[in-house]
Amino acid sequence: MTPLQRTRTRLGVVTLTWLVAALFAAPLPGFGQGQTYRAPRTAGGRPDLNGFWQALNTAHWDLEAHTAAPGPVLALGAAYAIPPGLGVVRDGPIPYRPDALAKKKGYAANVLKEDAEVKCYLPGVPRMMYMPYPVQIVQSTAQIVMLSEFASAQRTIYIDGKEPPPADTWMGWSNGRWDGETLVIDSKGFLGGTISALDEAGAIQVRFLDRAGNYHTDGLHVVERIRRTGPDHLSYEATIEDPNVYTRPWTISMPLYRRVEPNMELGEFKCEEFAGDLIFGRYAKEPAAK
Amino acid sequence: MGIEMNTRSFSRRIAAGCVAGIAALTLSAPSAIAQQASTTAAGTYRAPKTPDGRPDLQGYWTNLTYTPFERPKELAGKALYTDREAVEAFDKAVKDTFTTDQLVHYVQSDFAATPVQSGAKPNLNTSLVIEPADGRIPAFTPEAQKRVAAQRAAEKARGSLPLTWRDDRGTQWCVFHDRAVPAIPAPYGSIFHIVQSKDFIVMTYEWNTERRVIPLDGRPHNPASVRTYAGDARGRWEGDTLVVETTNFTPKRDFFGSEGTFTLVERFTRVSEDSISHTLTITDPTTWVSPWTLALPLHRTQGPMLEYACNENNMDAFTVLKNARAEERGELAAPDAMKRGDAKAVIKDASDKGAAEVIGAVD
Repeated sequence: MTPLQRTRTRLGVVTLTWLVAALFAAPLPGFGQGQTYRAPRTAGGRPDLNGFWQALNTAHWDLEAHTAAPGPVLALGAAYAIPPGLGVVRDGPIPYRPDALAKKKGYAANVLKEDAEVKCYLPGVPRMMYMPYPVQIVQSTAQIVMLSEFASAQRTIYIDGKEPPPADTWMGWSNGRWDGETLVIDSKGFLGGTISALDEAGAIQVRFLDRAGNYHTDGLHVVERIRRTGPDHLSYEATIEDPNVYTRPWTISMPLYRRVEPNMELGEFKCEEFAGDLIFGRYAKEPAAK
Repeated sequence: MGIEMNTRSFSRRIAAGCVAGIAALTLSAPSAIAQQASTTAAGTYRAPKTPDGRPDLQGYWTNLTYTPFERPKELAGKALYTDREAVEAFDKAVKDTFTTDQLVHYVQSDFAATPVQSGAKPNLNTSLVIEPADGRIPAFTPEAQKRVAAQRAAEKARGSLPLTWRDDRGTQWCVFHDRAVPAIPAPYGSIFHIVQSKDFIVMTYEWNTERRVIPLDGRPHNPASVRTYAGDARGRWEGDTLVVETTNFTPKRDFFGSEGTFTLVERFTRVSEDSISHTLTITDPTTWVSPWTLALPLHRTQGPMLEYACNENNMDAFTVLKNARAEERGELAAPDAMKRGDAKAVIKDASDKGAAEVIGAVD
């Protein structure tokens, strides 16, 4: 007899219904209990964000709610089909300008050519944080480094930094500050498309936020709020602004989960090796991949 | 020759038309100078500590140097300069940097990338190799001699034109920067950004954003089947010295003739406000008759370190491969030595004109 059956027998259906309702109303582990959770401190006295974190959702496929769909490569069949998801946009749908929405649909139809991920280009922010790869946070006092396994992408957060971006980059320039339990990161100085002199095979027009063609330009401004909500959970939230594309700022939010394996580390994922034939192949005599 | 790097990667790096590299190497390598002002200060200096109580190695550091990799023949038997000789050698190298005839059109100092601009210091060591005592890389084992000869023959048979993007490991090679781990001098981009937490230390090398996230928690090395370009580094504190042991390099590496079968033991000690002593011991009984050790100090330089984004900007791979195909079709006039990236010819030409020697040339 399962515990639920036992419950039904003893307490009757009404009580069971109450119990189930209570279960759902109770805080999910970590995410949601965050308002009161006080994180352990680093030796420097700040909430300790060190560790390996990873999103466990379908945001990397599509930030917005979506049903399951075939993947972009027929030959891969069900193995790389797109799983369904309820989305992570808190105040959606994404408020595209009408012209930008038309572009987004075009990009969505041409993902294999237009998505930086396919070519092993740097994923940018916030995308790096919810790709299906772990993110390691190495926290010092004046600087925090966040490292993705994908493409060796990484970013430095300058705590209490006031410097404007010294140059535009794919990963942007991030100044951070502590707001009690929350690390608030303000990022700008992003590049948008690609360098026009690149051969067509390497060129892309904009930077995607996911594999569904949601995109930003060099007008991107991101404000992230990261907070421990439990021993093994972070609350991650990013407000995304880009007047070239959206009519107003909009926000995504999701938990990030700790990778608790004792031997956890960022693997070496030098994906240039897997994209080289794709990008340069038509000028090669033979594939280099092996 | 300054050094013979008997490796496919380094010969290709030069031969692939890495024009910037040729120029910069020519400028930085010839001189008989460099760094490590550290030995005298080491006894009394107390490094600042992180909140976790460890020596603070954080910040931006460079290993640019004027010191020759191996000890020049004219300095045989002389491992150390006097303080005065070290400064004289340094000054001469700085002067030579700004007067050497350049092979290409741009001025290296425009990039603030010459060693002196980036913080290089006089060095008491007359060569970067400090063990064996003669300051030279040890001889190959017979096994390695055969292997390297076979490798060169295979390369020769493949022809001079790149067949795939992987054939060229000059500026268009964005997979791994061979000079990052083990650290050996590069002409520029030799900046390390170090950030420490209690259990990890991140060392990011500017060129190709080669990063090492070194665990300090005592974990064992990975299984021998997991072999990577940067290897698996494991760090521990021995007093005020960070000791890092790295193994499991991929057989795709070609480090001075070792195909990833070497182990690396490094020691980092902060010896002054502006310097970290960094020694690297390389052991591979299948390649060299003895281990060898480099002393390649890190000197403080200015941050921040910006994004390298190699792959995004890799126009070289397109042009080199496109031109190779055009040349095969007879549509491209035979280029001169510089355009062709024929380092040996360029170097010989420069050498005939009195320019100094170049690191990385083969034969």
